[in-house]
Amino acid sequence: MELEALKEIDSEVQALGARIVVLTPELERYTRALRKKLNLPFDILTDIHLKTAEQFGLVFTFPDYLRDLYQSFGSTLDRFHDESEYRLPIPARYIVDTNNLIRAADVNADYTIRPEPSETLRLLKEIVRK
Amino acid sequence: MSNLKDRLEGFKRTFESGAPPYNATPEIVATMHRATAELKASGIEGRALKTGDRAPDFALFNQDHVEVSSKDLLRQGPMVVSFFRGHW
Repeated sequence: MELEALKEIDSEVQALGARIVVLTPELERYTRALRKKLNLPFDILTDIHLKTAEQFGLVFTFPDYLRDLYQSFGSTLDRFHDESEYRLPIPARYIVDTNNLIRAADVNADYTIRPEPSETLRLLKEIVRK
Repeated sequence: MSNLKDRLEGFKRTFESGAPPYNATPEIVATMHRATAELKASGIEGRALKTGDRAPDFALFNQDHVEVSSKDLLRQGPMVVSFFRGHW
């Protein structure tokens, strides 16, 4: 749902001279299928073993009871991510300017809450116009 | 077009009601609420990078096994970096 919502703002983001990029721990065979299925205009980058997410301070480890629950659903992160420790990034979206500075950050530990793309677009417009 | 928040809340309502195709039991819903509450309480949000911080450089493979670096992207303009936990 989040990636499809980002797709809806992509042309406006590009018109502002900016690019959307999605980072996920998922392996390339899954990102390729997902990008094709959703017909996404932006790249999905495989943040293998969450190296970049760690640098952003976003990584957490599943408690045992949650790992057991996901395994009972058949969601085995070790397969999707080559990740035996069951770690994930919390949802986050950043706007980074050409000086490598973070100009906007939206981070939430509740995975059912995601940054609103219209808000990302509004912030980006402010940043580009200054 | 509804916003993302409304769409996510709609999904959450369906999931937590126990309706198909998820058929989540009250125990499953309670377990997920517990995990989210514990993660919030861990203070992870406060430790994440924030506005004004320098963004770490990255060079990662895209879906077609082409390396994409933050340096290359930022040469062209600002970038929106969205972290996504996965499709599953």
